[in-house]
Amino acid sequence: MKLLLVSKLSHTARAVNTLAKYVRVGQALGHEVAVFGEQQSEPPALPASLDVKHFDFAVFVVYMPWDFPDLPYLAQLLDGMPKDRRVIIDCCGRYNETLRVEHDFNHLEKMENHQGWEWLEGFQAVSDRILQPTLTPRRSDVRPFLFHGFDPKSVAKWYESPQEAAAAWSGAVRPYGAAYVGTNWQRWTQMRRFLEAVEPLREQLGRSCLVGWDWDKRPDWAAQLGIAGVDTDPALLKRWGVETKPAIPYDQFVEFLGQARFSPVVHRPLFNELGLVTNRTFETFCADTLPVLMVPDRYVDEVYGPAARPLAPGDDVTGRLRDMMRRPEVYWDAVLQTRAHLAREHSFERRFKELVAILEG
Amino acid sequence: MKILFVTDRRVDAGSIQAVAGYVRAGDALGHTIAVYGPPDPRFRDVRTSTEVRAFDHVVFLFESKLRWLSGLQLANLLAGVPRGRRAILDADGMANRVTGIEGYDRNHASDGERDAWLAYYERLADRIMQPTFTPAEPGIIGLPFYGYDPAARVSAPVPKQHDLLLVGHNWWRWREMSTVLLPAIERLRHRLDGVCFVGLWWDAPPPWAGSLGLGEAFQTDPERLRTLRVEVRPPVPFSEVIGTMSTGRVNLMTQRPLFRHLRFLTSKFFEIFCADTVPLVLIDPDHAEAVYGPAGRELAWDNGGADRLLDVLTRPERYRAIVEEVRAHLAAQHSYRRRVEELVGALEV
Repeated sequence: MKLLLVSKLSHTARAVNTLAKYVRVGQALGHEVAVFGEQQSEPPALPASLDVKHFDFAVFVVYMPWDFPDLPYLAQLLDGMPKDRRVIIDCCGRYNETLRVEHDFNHLEKMENHQGWEWLEGFQAVSDRILQPTLTPRRSDVRPFLFHGFDPKSVAKWYESPQEAAAAWSGAVRPYGAAYVGTNWQRWTQMRRFLEAVEPLREQLGRSCLVGWDWDKRPDWAAQLGIAGVDTDPALLKRWGVETKPAIPYDQFVEFLGQARFSPVVHRPLFNELGLVTNRTFETFCADTLPVLMVPDRYVDEVYGPAARPLAPGDDVTGRLRDMMRRPEVYWDAVLQTRAHLAREHSFERRFKELVAILEG
Repeated sequence: MKILFVTDRRVDAGSIQAVAGYVRAGDALGHTIAVYGPPDPRFRDVRTSTEVRAFDHVVFLFESKLRWLSGLQLANLLAGVPRGRRAILDADGMANRVTGIEGYDRNHASDGERDAWLAYYERLADRIMQPTFTPAEPGIIGLPFYGYDPAARVSAPVPKQHDLLLVGHNWWRWREMSTVLLPAIERLRHRLDGVCFVGLWWDAPPPWAGSLGLGEAFQTDPERLRTLRVEVRPPVPFSEVIGTMSTGRVNLMTQRPLFRHLRFLTSKFFEIFCADTVPLVLIDPDHAEAVYGPAGRELAWDNGGADRLLDVLTRPERYRAIVEEVRAHLAAQHSYRRRVEELVGALEV
């Protein structure tokens, strides 16, 4: 099968790593996979093509309005690929009625100048097959397809046993006690809660680090537009000794997190509500760190499997972190079992085959 | 016929006034004309629709900005309407080869820029129209597009606040302003009871002008305007343009040098004659006659300049009669009913 992936690539955000994996895994399985567009020399240097008619299917991976290409390219796509051979992967739940969860929305009219109806009608115009990376889509005309996956080859360090992992983890001196890599978009509430829990342990753990856009200060556009959800508190972060750094390329994510003993998995309120997964849902388990799952319990069971439950701290995050430091073997056992579960149930090979089955079905 | 206009809906600029005229005239002729999008309280008189598939033709209105539709919006429009039923109104001459006017106004900075526009247009629609009787490029359909709506005419006299008024934005206007109009105003200032410019960028250029290489397009000299006691006011919504113009005894209609060169029409050519005012139009007298009829020549600024302005102020009755003559010509030759018929004819081919 020849697949053409359509999305606007960013080397620090969104689905770039997932798309790179689809290219690699697809090729390994004997398929041809390319990204729609002109060949780029900057990383990721994925194979690119504008020859729409050469491909069997076009898979639109959509986060933002501009993931649909502009003219003349869009016309090439729509003219060159019949509607029944196009599919959309709706990564942010845009294909829903307008939803508000806390300060989070699926239709960001103030920022993006698009109303809800434009998303619905735009998607329906492009494809009859809409997939969302959740096990429980709200609309009956949407299929669940988790899209993102776990790549065992990307695991930084494989341990033979939880004892070995715990010993390595406890013994190593790391620059950070806790680190998070991701944009501060609708994450401040959860992140503040996590950092508040880390603060009493700072002397033991060391400092924390937030890597990504807009942790150091609230962007001017958010203040001008009155957008909540890009909040931060620089004075508080300073008081808590939290370092902030700009965004890093996607291929440095795993290595960077390995510099921290803990790393929270945090999703937007909207994503928690819709059960949407992201690339970080899985990638965090590739890093040599203890993931702290700040996500709903049902999500933990459904995606990570029951073995991951100890990694979800519940209401007492400080208490859980303390216990993780006191009994790391228990938690590294959870990590290793979860990795095995992810490798079985959520590998990119499995994802690719699921996608092929959807396309051929 | 059902025609859907797709336009960047701006309340104080653009072609929305014309679209409103098409909607009204279309209804009178049994056509259905609407503008794409949900209902908008700012444009109460303009029918809206998002049912792209319900329309026979879609007409995209482009001015000087190319990428104002997102990929998401385009996806819906392209997938819903075949290319053969899509058309473009190229209101600013962006389909033309690179055209520069004395090193000042221009449509494109380079051939590459023009190529990008043409590539976009070519994929969007199979026909391009321009608001001129004489398109300069082959294959382009020339139709006036903008029209005169007698129903929009101010019927009762309006109290005057200014002798001289200009309602329009400072976009490629400063060269003419500084070399022609302001010297005339300076000469007559002691005889003018109130001079006012209403529009964007007379007080200062937009902050982004320089970064886009458009500093010259928004050049201004607020100090010089202050010295001449030219009052500057912010723009008004399209629904208030005619009423605002009516507060001036004389209204100036200026055009970009590019449009003068290409003989392009704009809404302003006709709107100004709906106001209770005497227009003086800064276009070539031959072009004025071609649009307004023989009487239009008497309203061309080039035909006398400051002396013409003084004549208007001192012999208002004479010029009110000339304006009435022009209005009769416009009602006969340039109504929106005629424009709708021309557009339908162009789309049916």
